[in-house]
Amino acid sequence: MSSVLSLNNIAKSYGKVQALKGVSFNVPEGSVFGILGPNGSGKTTLLSIILDVLKANSGNFLWFGHPGSPAQRKKIGSLLETPNFYHYLSGINNLKITQSISGRGTDADIDEVLKKVKLFERRKSRFSTFSLGMKQRLAIAAALLGDPKVLVLDEPTNGLDPVGIAEIRQLIIDLRTSGHTIIMASHLLDEVEKVCTHAAILRTGELITTGEVEEILVDDDVVEVSATNLNALVDILKRLNKHMVVDEKLNTIHITFPKGEARLDEINKFCFEQGIALNHLILKKKRLEARFFELTNN
Amino acid sequence: MTNIVKTEWLKIRNYPAFWWVFGITALTYPGINTLFLYAYHDITKQKSTAGQVLKALMGNPFALPEGWRTMAFFSSFFVYIPAIVVIMLITNEYTYKTNRQNIIDGWSRRDFMTAKLIDVLLLSAIVILLYTAVVLVIGLTNTKNGSPHIWRLSYYIGLFFLQTFSQLSIAFTVGMLLRKAFIALAIFTFYSIIVEPIAVNFLKYKYNSEIGRFFPMEISDRLLTKPVFLGKIDEMAYQRSIDAVKYHVVYTIVLVLLTWLFCFWLNNRRDL
Repeated sequence: MSSVLSLNNIAKSYGKVQALKGVSFNVPEGSVFGILGPNGSGKTTLLSIILDVLKANSGNFLWFGHPGSPAQRKKIGSLLETPNFYHYLSGINNLKITQSISGRGTDADIDEVLKKVKLFERRKSRFSTFSLGMKQRLAIAAALLGDPKVLVLDEPTNGLDPVGIAEIRQLIIDLRTSGHTIIMASHLLDEVEKVCTHAAILRTGELITTGEVEEILVDDDVVEVSATNLNALVDILKRLNKHMVVDEKLNTIHITFPKGEARLDEINKFCFEQGIALNHLILKKKRLEARFFELTNN
Repeated sequence: MTNIVKTEWLKIRNYPAFWWVFGITALTYPGINTLFLYAYHDITKQKSTAGQVLKALMGNPFALPEGWRTMAFFSSFFVYIPAIVVIMLITNEYTYKTNRQNIIDGWSRRDFMTAKLIDVLLLSAIVILLYTAVVLVIGLTNTKNGSPHIWRLSYYIGLFFLQTFSQLSIAFTVGMLLRKAFIALAIFTFYSIIVEPIAVNFLKYKYNSEIGRFFPMEISDRLLTKPVFLGKIDEMAYQRSIDAVKYHVVYTIVLVLLTWLFCFWLNNRRDL
């Protein structure tokens, strides 16, 4: 699979603060690529660099195998940080400016994207009269204008209500299905887990890990077991010499195995041979949230 | 280039504040010259000896061709009004962060600055059109029929354009550096009206130094000499100021080039 975007050792400092420390990764074509990290981890800085809003101190990046250029940015639909529009202009007139600069879309396309984000009825209202959610919707409409094959979305569900969040998530999934590549920064782990195929995790400007979301999630196998006599079960499981966490409230034990090494049938057999009958045995996929906290040491 | 002009037009077409200030600008140039014209008529229609002496000394500064010089001089006092428009157009981009959005959407940084350069050029051209219209209306109504050489000093159109463009370029630079409309306008006005004139005259009278003529606003201020009747107070000094205009044309062109080179360089270099 070819790369839409390749980052090579990108570094950026603000005075003494090093916001990015040599970040490198590739974004495969057709992926929904989540850039994850806590506040201040460098997500927006990274997106700003690939959109030429900020200058990297060192390193380089390639869009479609070529250095970034205005001509390439015109083909990319982008939403960076906050919706940036002329407050005195209406929604539709703001999109006409996006259209004029980028060359993406027609007047009919403007109406279409406004309908898609449910702003068509308010298209003639001034941007300054929009709510935060409406501003965000307009920014998404601007990014979608002309159906660009690559989208860069920084916190796309910021300011949206739960229905709006669900709609934008579905929109992203639909775009992925129709072959679009989406690069999305978020600190909402649930969001990334639901819509992303790939992810990169940043912590204080450093790339912690990158790859397919499934790979990142299943770094370890976690087996959840339970029995009537939990203390006895703990005693015999100690013989496995594996990391264990006992949850006395839920009356369960979590045993961590290296990736791919957990054998449920063998665990069941082992416990039974030791005189314990399990009443609960399940291989749990580690949630991205847990994995994220592990990786970022939070 | 057409795309850049079209985009800038889309930005200002529905911008009420722009049209308000633009309207004020359009009223200022005819207004100020008409005011001076009425003052002149008031003074010279006096039947007293003083009034008649003044009339003889002044001639008619509003008649052509002298009207080109007189009205360029009076009009130049009001560069602060179009400067508000220039400062608004650049600081708005920073306030709304639309400068970065323009880049994200596919303009190069050079495109963005070219757009702003075109704005300042067009605004200067509009001021010049207003000035030309005012001079022709007031000048022709104050000139005797069949008077020859009415276009003799019409090169003041070029001089006034160069001065306006130079001073609006400085206003633009201040807006670009400070990014906040109110602060930029206050500093530009304070510097132009208070700081620089005091500094120029202080250096001239205290230290007998002419270095002040190279100050940013003074360089182009010296393109437009006083009306002839004011020059009669010190005719030799007035002649020197007329002789120096050609040098100040060169200095102003150099200053304008340096100003825009700096703006393009700064915009290219700094984070948005």
